[in-house]
Amino acid sequence: MKTIVRNTGYFFKEIKTMIKLDFFSNLFSIISLGFILFILSLIIAGGWGTNYMIEAIEDEAEISVYYTKDSQVSTISEKIRSIDGVREVIEINAAEAKEEISEIMGEESRILELFEHNPFSPYIEVKIDLDFMDTVADEVKKIEGVELVRDNKEILDKLKGISSLANILGALLVIAVSVATLVITSHIIRQGIYMNKEQINTLRLLGAPEGFINLPFILEGIIMTILAGFLSMSLIFIVFKYISSKLTVSLPFLILPDAHDMLLGMGAINLILSLVLGLVGSLFGLKSTKK
Amino acid sequence: MIIAKDVDLKYPDGTLGIRGVNLNIPDGSITYISGPSGSGKTSFLKLLIGIELPTSGSLTVSGYDMNNLSDKELRALRRNIGPIFQDFKLLDGRTVMDNVLIGMRFLNFSNKNMKEAALSSIERVGLGHKVKSLVDNLSYGERQRVAIARAVARKPSLIVADEPTGNLDRDNSLNILELLRSFSDNETTVIITTHATHLIEDEVNCTKIHVLNGEFRVEEAAYENNR
Repeated sequence: MKTIVRNTGYFFKEIKTMIKLDFFSNLFSIISLGFILFILSLIIAGGWGTNYMIEAIEDEAEISVYYTKDSQVSTISEKIRSIDGVREVIEINAAEAKEEISEIMGEESRILELFEHNPFSPYIEVKIDLDFMDTVADEVKKIEGVELVRDNKEILDKLKGISSLANILGALLVIAVSVATLVITSHIIRQGIYMNKEQINTLRLLGAPEGFINLPFILEGIIMTILAGFLSMSLIFIVFKYISSKLTVSLPFLILPDAHDMLLGMGAINLILSLVLGLVGSLFGLKSTKK
Repeated sequence: MIIAKDVDLKYPDGTLGIRGVNLNIPDGSITYISGPSGSGKTSFLKLLIGIELPTSGSLTVSGYDMNNLSDKELRALRRNIGPIFQDFKLLDGRTVMDNVLIGMRFLNFSNKNMKEAALSSIERVGLGHKVKSLVDNLSYGERQRVAIARAVARKPSLIVADEPTGNLDRDNSLNILELLRSFSDNETTVIITTHATHLIEDEVNCTKIHVLNGEFRVEEAAYENNR
C-alpha cells in the first residue's frame, strides 16, 4: 500500500503515456463507451420517470361522480363522505370544471373559447385511498341520483402494466449494455497490455509485484469509463433540457420528476456505473491476458 | 553465493542449454563467463534470474533454491538482482531518469533516496548530462549505460550482465568492463558473460569460466590479492 501511495504520480504518468501511445483508438473507445452509458442512462431515466408518474397518480387516486340534473348534490356528497376509504369530497360546478381543464390544456385551452356554452358538467370529486377504489366506486354507484362514476383505475392498471413491461425490458437492456461496456473495457485493457508487453515483462524480470504492474491498467480502465460517464452525462443534460421543454409545452398534464433531482440522480448513477464497470472490465481484461 | 550442482538445462524443444554445471560463486566476487555464441552463457544467466528452471541438478542463488521457488520468492530474488540484458530492455518514450527509477519504485527506497540513488548511478555511468533525454534518442553505447545505471541503482547483491561488450569496439568494451568491475564490492557479486575471450585475458582478481557446448570449465582463478 505504501508503495502504491508513494508511486501515485508515477501511475498517473504511466496512464497518460498509455493513453497517448494509442490515442485515437482510446478516444474512440471513450466515445463508444460514452454512447453506451448514455443509452443505459436513458433506459434508467425512462424507468424512473414512469415509476414516478405511477406513484404520483396513485397518490392522486380519485373518482369523479356525475349526477342527474334533478338530484340534490349536498345529499349525494353527504352519503359519499360516509363511505369507508373516502378522504375528501369536493363539489365542482361547471365553471370550475371548465377552469380546471383550461389549466391542464394550457395554451391549447383557446379551443374552449369556440364553444358558445360551457360544455362541462358539474361533478363531485372524491379523493380516496387507492386500496378502496373498487369498493368506494361500487358503493357510490348505488347512491340515488348518481349517473356516472369515472375512476382512473383503468388508466392506472394500464400504466402499471406498461411500467412492469418497461421495467423488465429495461432490466434486460441494462444487462446487455453493461455486458457491452465490460467487453469494450476489457478489450481496451487487453490491448493496452499487449502494447505494453515488453514493459510488463521487464518489470517482472526486475521483481515488481503483480499489483504494481497491474494497477496502471486497472486505473486506465476506470479513468476511461469515467470519461465516458462524463460524456454520457453531457448528452443526458442536453437531451433532458430538450425533452423537458418539449413535454412541458405539448403535454403539460404529464407528471414528471423534478429535472434537477433527476439530473443529479443520473449523474450519481453514471459515476457509480462507470466506476464499477471500469473496474470489473479492467479486471476481466487483466485476467484474460493471463490465460 | 551461487551454488550449482550437476545443473542441466534443456529447453522444451530439446535444445541443450547447459550440461552438468558445478559451480560455487562466492559473494562479492567477479566472474566472467566466456564462450562462443550459443554455448550456454545466456542460458546460465536465465537460470540465475529464474527465467528458466534447471531441468535437473540443484541451483541455489542468494539462498533461494531455484528448484522450489514460489512466485513470491522469485520476485524477492529478482529484487536483489541487477540484470543488464543483451537487448537492454529499456522503456521507449521514457527519459533516462524514468528508466532508472522504474527498477526502484517497488523497492524500499524513500522518494528522496530513490531519486538520489538514480541520479548518482546515472552520473556514475557518465550520463549525468542526459538525465532528461528520451532513451529513444540515445546511441547504442549510451542505452547500454542506462541499462547499467538501472541495474546498479537498485543496490543489488548480484549484478548479471549478458554480453555487455556485444556490439562495442575494443576501447568501449574495456571501458564497460571496467565500469562493471567497479560495482563489485564485498556485498555485490558481479557476473559478466562475453564471447570476446581476448578482452578478459588480462583480468585478475576474478573467476573465469569458459563455456563450450553447454559445459562449464572453471579456469584457475586469477587472484593477485586475497579477497
